[in-house]
Amino acid sequence: MSPCETIQESLGPWLDGELRGADGEAVRSHVASCADCAAARGRLEKLQLTLGTVLSTEAPQLKFAPFWREVERRIEAKRPWHEQLIEWCQSTLSAPRLAWAVPAAIMLVLGLLSFAKWPVGGQADNYASVESIDAHGRNVALLRDDKTKTTIIWLYQNPEGENENVEEAAKSGPAF
Amino acid sequence: MELSDWQLVEKSQAGDADAFQELVSRYHQKVFMVILGLMRNREDALEVAQETFFRAFRKIKSFQGGSSFYTWIYRIAVNNSIDAQRKQKRNPLDFHESMDGLFEARNEVAKDPFADVQDRELRENMSKAINELTPEHKAVIVLRTIEGMSYKDIGEILGCSEGTVMSRLHYARKKLQDKLSAFL
Ligand SMILES: [Zn+2]
Repeated sequence: MSPCETIQESLGPWLDGELRGADGEAVRSHVASCADCAAARGRLEKLQLTLGTVLSTEAPQLKFAPFWREVERRIEAKRPWHEQLIEWCQSTLSAPRLAWAVPAAIMLVLGLLSFAKWPVGGQADNYASVESIDAHGRNVALLRDDKTKTTIIWLYQNPEGENENVEEAAKSGPAF
Repeated sequence: MELSDWQLVEKSQAGDADAFQELVSRYHQKVFMVILGLMRNREDALEVAQETFFRAFRKIKSFQGGSSFYTWIYRIAVNNSIDAQRKQKRNPLDFHESMDGLFEARNEVAKDPFADVQDRELRENMSKAINELTPEHKAVIVLRTIEGMSYKDIGEILGCSEGTVMSRLHYARKKLQDKLSAFL
């Protein structure tokens, strides 16, 4: 890649104020002494200016009162039962809670099975345990049954409510 | 004294509807502009903007202030727009007269920046070129152009890295320049 190509790739971030220090200075001094790159800078500035004008003139000024009335109507509207149920499930059966509920249920089943196998007064060395590790935002619940040599590893992510849909949006397309 | 966004969020979380209304009044125009930039149709953009604030109201209790309110609300807006674009039926920039009552009248005295013929042609071609961008490219262009957001904030909104934002902007601008080479 020629020096001019490298500089022209950096023109956008430089004009956006995202290139600071030595990187920004390298672009500035090259553009000051190179007619081709100065012309490329001019074209990019014109593009940005036109974009700004087109996007802002397309958008009419909203009247707040009717806008808010519609938002308020939606807030106050009684939602159908299935939507309420979905919302209740989403808030009650959230991933972190489910992540604990599932191993706990498995442990319960194992416990019940061991009771069924060894009635009261039988062997007592059959047990299960649950551990949790939190590393790199991933939680791990570990469940061991020493008698049957069974280990269940339960991995789960802990998404915050405010990050909802972000991963989905990020997955929806290529990087460029 | 004017309350900060975060103070209004806390009041909204405690059930203060007026505080939430104040947040909506601060952001409704900008959120609408961003959504219109993505959806390219006023009727659809208005619908998605109202839905965005409705969803924000429903989720406000889960907002913990890890990011600013404005990146949070734009994140909901962009995600709603991308979802809605998949179902979108109307043509870009169609305008229905029944919507007149929802917008302020245009200021007739203000000079049309695209008054002469060549500029009008540039506007039409630019509008068409924006329509043809992918939703991901449109999103970076719109957030950067309308809001002048930093790459970091855009990355937070779109759930991608600053490097990805830089790369998407570069390719989106290149596509626009290629399509408008006769004018720029
Ligand atoms: Zn050069």
